[in-house]
Amino acid sequence: MKKRITSALLASAVILSVAGCGGTTTPASTTAAAPAATEAAATEAAATEAAATEAAATEEAAPAANTDNSGTVFNIRAWNEEFKGFFEKYMPGYDASAQTLDGVPVVWTIVPSDDLAYQNALDEALQKNASASADDKVDMFLAEADYILKYTDSDFTMDIANLGVNQVDTEYQYTVSAASDSNGKIKGVSFQCCPSALIYRRSIAKDVLGTDDPDQVQAALDSWAKYDDVAKQAKDKGYYMHASFAETYRVFSNNADGAWVTGGQLTIPAVVDQWTEQAKTYFDNGYILDTCPGIWDDGKNAEMFATGKTMCFFGPAWYFNFCMGNAQDPDNGCFGDWAICKGPQGHFWGGTWILAATGTDNGDLVAKVMKAFTENEEVCENLIVNEGQFTNNKKVNEKFANDPSFGVDFLGGQNATAVFCGMTDSIKWENATIYDQACNEGYQNFIKTYINGTTTKEASLADFYTYINEKYPAVQTP
Amino acid sequence: MSSTTTTAPAKHKSISYAKWGYFFIAPFVIVYLFCSLIPLLSTFYNSLFENYMDGLKQIGPNFVGLQNFISIFTPRSSDGKMEIFSYTGNTMIMWVMGAVPQIVFALLLAVIFTSERMKIKGQGFFKTVIYMPNLIMASAFAMLFFQIFSSVGPINQIITANGGSAFLFFDNEWSARTIIAFINFLMWFGNTTILLMAGIMGIDQSLFEAASIDGANSTQVFFRITIPLLMPIIIYVVITALIGGLQMFDVPQIITSGKGNPSNTTKTLVMALNGYIGLSKNYGMAGAYSFFLFIVTGALSVLVFKSTEPKKEKKGGKK
Repeated sequence: MKKRITSALLASAVILSVAGCGGTTTPASTTAAAPAATEAAATEAAATEAAATEAAATEEAAPAANTDNSGTVFNIRAWNEEFKGFFEKYMPGYDASAQTLDGVPVVWTIVPSDDLAYQNALDEALQKNASASADDKVDMFLAEADYILKYTDSDFTMDIANLGVNQVDTEYQYTVSAASDSNGKIKGVSFQCCPSALIYRRSIAKDVLGTDDPDQVQAALDSWAKYDDVAKQAKDKGYYMHASFAETYRVFSNNADGAWVTGGQLTIPAVVDQWTEQAKTYFDNGYILDTCPGIWDDGKNAEMFATGKTMCFFGPAWYFNFCMGNAQDPDNGCFGDWAICKGPQGHFWGGTWILAATGTDNGDLVAKVMKAFTENEEVCENLIVNEGQFTNNKKVNEKFANDPSFGVDFLGGQNATAVFCGMTDSIKWENATIYDQACNEGYQNFIKTYINGTTTKEASLADFYTYINEKYPAVQTP
Repeated sequence: MSSTTTTAPAKHKSISYAKWGYFFIAPFVIVYLFCSLIPLLSTFYNSLFENYMDGLKQIGPNFVGLQNFISIFTPRSSDGKMEIFSYTGNTMIMWVMGAVPQIVFALLLAVIFTSERMKIKGQGFFKTVIYMPNLIMASAFAMLFFQIFSSVGPINQIITANGGSAFLFFDNEWSARTIIAFINFLMWFGNTTILLMAGIMGIDQSLFEAASIDGANSTQVFFRITIPLLMPIIIYVVITALIGGLQMFDVPQIITSGKGNPSNTTKTLVMALNGYIGLSKNYGMAGAYSFFLFIVTGALSVLVFKSTEPKKEKKGGKK
């Protein structure tokens, strides 16, 4: 009897609790589910009826954004801290202690670009921008040369003329072409121009070539044939010509005659194939480190310490601060033991463009940032003098290029701006596709096992094609 | 009279305890339905569609039937390799490399800790210490090992300082797999030890005493008493480890930046799945991969169950 009573009590307690839970949760869950469902339906509809609805939506949004400055949070997306650092130091109207720009709090969302993670996160954010709450709307985002086309040639970015940014004649033409969509509308600005130079260790050049004078070094290295000869000489003296197998990748790939993908078909550009064979020869001959490091690997960066045995690196002005921290290390570095010249072939590498996201509610602030980093001469001068950058303002660059007293201490007093100014004409901007980041990153990653001798070229290429198929199912691979 | 005879059975019929059973299992069923069964079915449903992003352009969803399944089982044209099998192979190899030492080591520790003869002091401390690695995030572990074994990391510094040339652990498929397996081993052996200890402590102590009175040595006690009676727990541990192992993702993903280097030899099934769900949002192919994973997991679980069942029956029969 006692047992029955206790079991009845327990059972009723369970019923009550279940009923109680049900009573409170059912309405809550239905109300929660309803907006979720409608939201899902809305995004799905937006996604599937792509062209029609989105075009209409952006046409509505674009003129509104021109005047829409109601935003209370300024959201910026980037893949590293580089621009953030410049922004926080030099942006007029930025209050570093409050982290506000003209009173509007600045919020950075930084997602590393490795394995396309940045694009992935950005795509999701942009697709939700129309329905996002005011404080979460992406206002401005950065894009790199390898994938800028994807965003400029879409409705997710705004014509900068609508924002009141018109003065692009001070900018280098390739940076403007890169930011233009297929109809010639300009969708963004770059705050840097990125001709890429051969950066060499002065002391090693003296030992190998007998001189560290940039003009004479350039004369000794102005073609690939000469470069190969010097690589052999360097090896004989116990040095490496360059460190990473991928060091010269951009010199070749950014001079390509054909695109990675044409008509939905992937083709490896002839120059990339030439690079592959060069890299293989260099590895086999011991002209590069026997660990065969990638372009961003610690093993390569360690070569920039004073103890390093590597003569050449390739990179634009951003490379000094962003990649050569080891060379600038006060204890183990070799500050001042560097110089630059054009090298065997002119080329560019990277570059950061500032784009305005459709649906921004801080249109004026975006315009202000764009203007500050391209038109504002004081900001540009600071970038050159304090940060060693090569800006996207011809007038400012030329002023420093023609100033005989200007020199960069890191480069032993060499006027880097003058060297870069002489290289801007050799930048080739064409053949860009939306697939370039995956192609460049994937190719370098998977071809490495062929270069270091662990797999055949066919096997490496097969892995690369698989990688592309995963990222871009629509692209046909051989 | 008649009224009492008719009412009594009716009363008896109405007392059914089944409904309480339903009440008690309801929370599980509801959670299972919404968190497992519906997602499973919707994954399968999604795998029947062509549905992905090409850059910022949405393609589909178009119904394509079993096309996604056909394409995951089509050898790639460039070298005839069947990717899904090589990813399954990679996953299983790395799992076995980690799980075998994990279970052996855990069994050893569990026996030592529960041994009446040894009576190890400070058990609480040791148990905490061996469980500790499980509390660290897999990604943190992966980053740590990536640094330790990098071309300029401490291990290579030791090698080069002693006159050797740097060994690239992440450029060699076996060293890369070993490191990944080792991290998984390190993270999970504590967990397994605790499960096995609970199992051993559940064995009647009098059996051990009886064995020692009969003059059995430690090896005999271990193989004749501990192992047979621990079998159900060991099977449970193996199955859960196997299912966890098939879903191996975080460690190889972080260590190889999602690329399964070198040459896709550390790429697991879930990494491939993640590759499809990433930039391309290829729900069709990812769904097909998930479903394949489900079938493999299910089949392996059934296999393990079946392989252990007959033994039990035989023993029962003998008794």
